[in-house]
Amino acid sequence: MSTIAIHDTHHDHHDHGHHKETFLTKYIFSQDHKMIAKQFLITGIIMAVIAMGLSILFRIQLAWPDKSFPFLETFLGKWAEGGRIKPDFYLALVTIHGTIMVFFVLTAGLSGTFSNLLIPLQVGARDMASPFLNMLSYWFFFMACVIMMGSFFVQTGPASAGWTVYPPLSALPKAVTGSGFGMTLWLISMVLFVASSLMGGINYVSTILNMRTKGMDLWKMPLPIWAFFLTAILGILSFPVLVAGVVLLVFDRSFGTSFYLSDIVFGTQILPNEGGSPILWQHLFWFLGHPEVYIVIMPALGISSEVISVNARKPIFGYHAMVYSLIGITVLSFIVWGHHMFVTGMNPLLGGVFMITTLIIAVPSAVKTFNYLATLWRGNIRFTPAMLFAIGLVSFFISGGLTGIFLGNASLDINLHDTYFVVAHFHLVMGSAAIFGMLAGVYHWYPKMFGRMMNAKLGYLHFWLTFISAYLVFFPLHFLGLDGVPRRYYVFTEFEFMRKWLTVNTFVTWAAILGALAQVAFLWNFFYSIFKGKRAPQNPWEANTLEWTTPVEHLHGNWPGEIPTVYRWPYDYSKPGHDEDFIPQTIPFSQTMSSNLPHDFEGNEEAERIQREWDAQNPPAEQRTPQH
Amino acid sequence: MVTTLPKQTGNYDMKPKKFIVWLFVVSSTIMFGGWTSYYLVFSGSKGKGHGLVLPDVFIYSTLVLVASSICLFLASRAQRKSTALQKRYLGLTFILGIVFAYMQFSAWSQMSLGGAYFINNNAGISMIYVFTFFHCLHIIAGLCLIASAFFGAGKVTAERNAYRMEIASIFWHFIDILWIYLYVFLLLNR
Repeated sequence: MSTIAIHDTHHDHHDHGHHKETFLTKYIFSQDHKMIAKQFLITGIIMAVIAMGLSILFRIQLAWPDKSFPFLETFLGKWAEGGRIKPDFYLALVTIHGTIMVFFVLTAGLSGTFSNLLIPLQVGARDMASPFLNMLSYWFFFMACVIMMGSFFVQTGPASAGWTVYPPLSALPKAVTGSGFGMTLWLISMVLFVASSLMGGINYVSTILNMRTKGMDLWKMPLPIWAFFLTAILGILSFPVLVAGVVLLVFDRSFGTSFYLSDIVFGTQILPNEGGSPILWQHLFWFLGHPEVYIVIMPALGISSEVISVNARKPIFGYHAMVYSLIGITVLSFIVWGHHMFVTGMNPLLGGVFMITTLIIAVPSAVKTFNYLATLWRGNIRFTPAMLFAIGLVSFFISGGLTGIFLGNASLDINLHDTYFVVAHFHLVMGSAAIFGMLAGVYHWYPKMFGRMMNAKLGYLHFWLTFISAYLVFFPLHFLGLDGVPRRYYVFTEFEFMRKWLTVNTFVTWAAILGALAQVAFLWNFFYSIFKGKRAPQNPWEANTLEWTTPVEHLHGNWPGEIPTVYRWPYDYSKPGHDEDFIPQTIPFSQTMSSNLPHDFEGNEEAERIQREWDAQNPPAEQRTPQH
Repeated sequence: MVTTLPKQTGNYDMKPKKFIVWLFVVSSTIMFGGWTSYYLVFSGSKGKGHGLVLPDVFIYSTLVLVASSICLFLASRAQRKSTALQKRYLGLTFILGIVFAYMQFSAWSQMSLGGAYFINNNAGISMIYVFTFFHCLHIIAGLCLIASAFFGAGKVTAERNAYRMEIASIFWHFIDILWIYLYVFLLLNR
């Protein structure tokens, strides 16, 4: 298959013939990683807009629980009779908002887009290890999206057991209306989604390990590639466990087994299931679920490393530390899942163990944060929209990460569990931070994807409105949580102690609406620029990585002629002695004699000797100046 | 430029794809790891496992599966010498694979006749069915790979033939070892 792809490249290049490409093979069933990346991105954006719309709907309910909004009934029919969202539908909204955002936007939309786009381009490969599998991965994802959205057209409505679908709510089709056919669709959709993620992840790992260009050893890889690599490994090791759990859940739901069910009384009826335990679902779910949050954040961290270094015109601070901290996070993420389950009656000793492993994650996270800040420190910063979003990620990662230290403590978590404090925490640290990383990537690599530039002014507007509204939405929620206000509650007026928070909720909803409107600036900018944006130059950000050596016009196979060879790491920005403030990875050291440093040669004595001779003949400028 | 291509494609094609199969093996192992750890926690908390004397068919099916693995190994060894021999061993592997799958189903019927149904208040017994069912799905996938190697032998290039044999071998030996693991696991965790 790939044999054909390579020959194609050369035909395309030499005779400009698109003899075999039809609309169907170019745009629909494309096996070109760049087109698949765009498919993932645009599907991800559509899903993000839908999920954001759902959040506005339930925010309206939280802010004005007693008010009637006739337009809601127009749109939602019996789910909002009298212009008020019904409790069952409220739960469905929260569930589907979470599911879409975590899986469809921040996993598939983020990893799917940027792993597909950047892995072949930045490691120097013609395409993925298996382009066919890559195409399947997208179409499984697409089917998962369609089925998930299809649950809105089912009479009983979408799944409503929360994005974690804990049994027995999810295991008994008659438990609540959302446990019916909507839940079945949720499970089918997730199985397809996991299949898609696995196909993608397996492909990413194989490509990175086997298809790097000449000279691209692992320690010369750009940090996004490291992040995508470790993310894919996380996915390969954790998603199968979710499948294992989901299979058992399907058997419980549809066949009557008792994996998660026991001693259930349903109205006056005693169910026959015995012996199972819903806690076991939680273990299986969170064994995926916790690595999942790192699957969400790590690509965003990798993208930010690149964007920050390019736009600060400085080498990334602590490249090796950045990689080791990613590895540390990857390893630790498998042994912390219990911190989601502190209040399930867990043995306090075991809780203590999970608490310690959880808090240790603060170390690699802090290493990354400080490295970002140190990269920015005294940089020659270019505040492009991508840079602003990357800095925004650092901000959210800090403010959301700090509350993680609270929640990681078992003793504090007992108080804060299932309150708005948790909602505030994860929306900042994995929601907003990951979305900002994703947007940084979109603004940064848009020229590579579409050959055109996005409008920077609209980008600034988008950034500031989103940044401010994200803080206005999520910061106040911490205080609700500290006061004990529980998550997932339908109305705040039913409980005396929660009444005083109603005004705050109104404020938060207005901020959310502002944030939603800000996305119009992005959507307009994104779709308008595809057709009418300024044409992009070859290397618009003056970056070092390999993707900017490919022609602006895409061709299947990425590089006309041979794949370039890599000679240096990707972060030679503002290197003293060089006349430009960046040196692409494809420039050999023999062309940069004035800026080479002894450690550049990695112990190659011959190269060091040549450099010493050259240095002796060409003394640095400051030593020569006194002669004038 | 074009003359350098064939050299490049040799590596380009096979190695990464073979690696994909290894990664699939890893993720599949993890899936069964998920189920066996469910089983361990479940039986640990109940103080009992499936509590059955496993049908004897499992012993014979295990032997059949090991025999099929040996046949596949012989087929790999034969591929350079003789296509006919390679095909004969591949065919034998295929047949033994089907016999194995049949024996697993007959084990199910024996268990059901003995009252140990899939829908059971002892999740440990249900889990035996889950293990064997999903293992059999892997067998079906493995049979497809063996069929592809069988029909390709003699028709495709020697390089491609070797590639198909290798893919089939990695996968088939994996499901062989996987079954032995599951069987021993069930024997040890009654």
